[in-house]
Amino acid sequence: MPSTIVNLKVNGAAREFLTRPGTTMLDALRDSLSLTAAKKGCAQGTCGTCTVLLDGKTVFSCLVLVETISGASVETLEGLAVGDTLHPLQQTFIDLFATQCGFCSSGMIMAAKGLLARNVNPSRDDVVRAISGNVCRCTGYESIIDAILAAAARMTKSASSRKRAAE
Amino acid sequence: MLRAIDVPQSTAEALASLARARDAHLIGGGTLVMPRVQAGTSGIGALVSLSKLKLDRITVKGDKVTIGAATTLAAIGAERALAFLHPAIESVGSPTLRNLATIGGNLFTEQPYGDIAVCLLALDAAATVVGKRGVRKIPVAEILKQGIGRDTIVTAISFNKPEKGTWFYRKAMRRAANSASIVTIAAHLPLKKGRIAGARVALGGCGEKPIRASQAEVAFEGEKRDADSVAKAGALLAKDAKPFTDAYASAWYRGRVLPVHFRRAILGE
Repeated sequence: MPSTIVNLKVNGAAREFLTRPGTTMLDALRDSLSLTAAKKGCAQGTCGTCTVLLDGKTVFSCLVLVETISGASVETLEGLAVGDTLHPLQQTFIDLFATQCGFCSSGMIMAAKGLLARNVNPSRDDVVRAISGNVCRCTGYESIIDAILAAAARMTKSASSRKRAAE
Repeated sequence: MLRAIDVPQSTAEALASLARARDAHLIGGGTLVMPRVQAGTSGIGALVSLSKLKLDRITVKGDKVTIGAATTLAAIGAERALAFLHPAIESVGSPTLRNLATIGGNLFTEQPYGDIAVCLLALDAAATVVGKRGVRKIPVAEILKQGIGRDTIVTAISFNKPEKGTWFYRKAMRRAANSASIVTIAAHLPLKKGRIAGARVALGGCGEKPIRASQAEVAFEGEKRDADSVAKAGALLAKDAKPFTDAYASAWYRGRVLPVHFRRAILGE
């Protein structure tokens, strides 16, 4: 069972590590890179707690073999905050009480990030669909949907004020 | 327990890799294979990945469509020339799942999953396969019925795009998004001089694999596409459908609602 070397760009930084055959991206993130925001819920691609961005697209990291993605770029929740400043999605999840036990939050926020990357002004229905692969057993989803919509509005507002400042 | 993961760069390498071990298995997006592997009871010892075989191209020339087997459902969902398939694509799993799940993999799942396979059956799609006997083109219907040899790889799916207004799709689910099928209906009902000619109706949730509703197809032939012909064809669905009981619905319920969803699918109710 020879191990192989895998190279990934994780949250903007080049990372290299040894991995045993059949290691999922989720296990590699957690065990080799100590990035534990992505959680192992079902390990079946059903619960969404392991959601990360792979080359800009949301995926369930428990279904991806890390040996098959060498060279790829991965974003996890750990890469969102800039220093002590939280990403708008993280801030609105706190402000609008969109997190209770917190187990789903990392996956929810990454699924939302994937949505906002391709749709800066999503409708409520767009948000519902974007997080339809993510299970939350605490909140009843409404506060999560509200938080994602609020983050989208904040991001659009700050983008337009930056544009005004530049003009 | 997995011994080895192969990431071949060519189909020849992939075939050689499959032939090396009896317990080797292909993996595309991983949404079907990985849950089995993670459950620990799959008996799979080696995985051969399709990820570097460049099987992810979509080509649309006129009405001829060819889709690489490892094309994700998300990529098909983003292809404007395949807009007729988008409602079906969006009825499968979640956007996150569709970023991984492939069209080729959809042929190898069991109902109540595999809605795209239901569509491909109604489209009379063909699969390009490579194996010991070289490259062959076989009907998707044959793969759904018999599977393919274990040393064979599906590399592409091809079909003719249906003319506007001749394609119908509906999936009954437990909730609006990310749910398996209660029943799925896909139908291609082309018209010749205002009469149905060459009807193909495929059903999900009505057998282990997608099936054709042959009796309903016969009933449609030469009829106008209207409430009468849909009622007649709908009454014959039960002749071919073998609905089953699972956590989503009982066989009784599936059979009961099938003609209703069939009517809604085709008449757009």
